[in-house]
Amino acid sequence: MKNRLKVLRAERDWTQARLAAELEVSRQTVNAIETGKYDPSLPLAFRIARLFGQPIEEIFTTE
Amino acid sequence: MTKTDEAIWTAGCAASERDRRNQYRFLWATLVWAVVFVGATFLTKRGMVPEGPLAWLVAALPTLAALLVIWTYARFLREGDELQRVIQLRSLALGFGAAWVATCGYPLFEHLGAPPADAGDYFLVMAVAFTVGNVLARRQYR
Repeated sequence: MKNRLKVLRAERDWTQARLAAELEVSRQTVNAIETGKYDPSLPLAFRIARLFGQPIEEIFTTE
Repeated sequence: MTKTDEAIWTAGCAASERDRRNQYRFLWATLVWAVVFVGATFLTKRGMVPEGPLAWLVAALPTLAALLVIWTYARFLREGDELQRVIQLRSLALGFGAAWVATCGYPLFEHLGAPPADAGDYFLVMAVAFTVGNVLARRQYR
């Protein structure tokens, strides 16, 4: 699964640590999602979508 | 340092604040278990506990402490960061699997003359496999 998390984070000029704090996860989790090594759970995907104010399918797409 | 700064700082660490708190609980429980286990073993093997209910209580103390360890670990898994949970579960799977294979497979070699193994050896196999699984999973998601 591909995602636009890194782009969305960069648009806000946030660090991975800042995004991790906003999502209440570890920085390692943010990094793993951004690099495509880990697909988040549905609740976390919803939190990400809510945080960036976009539908899930705008952020996560199947390859 | 503001609350937001603090949250960012802790998120910058390998584990979240909640995970670190639960890890401390787990480590303390493990330490308590180790002390109780060594103490109970020492007292029982030296025959320093009079026979009767007190001896049974002393023998049961390590088990009670171990239940505390299991409870803190289960809490760490339940409340933990989801990637951390995946890493822990993969480690547990490898540790449990290795211990299962060793427990079922090695006795056959014992019949053929291999050195006898006891529960401590199988526990060691589990611990080593868990650690290897943990390192591999962490590297994969780094």
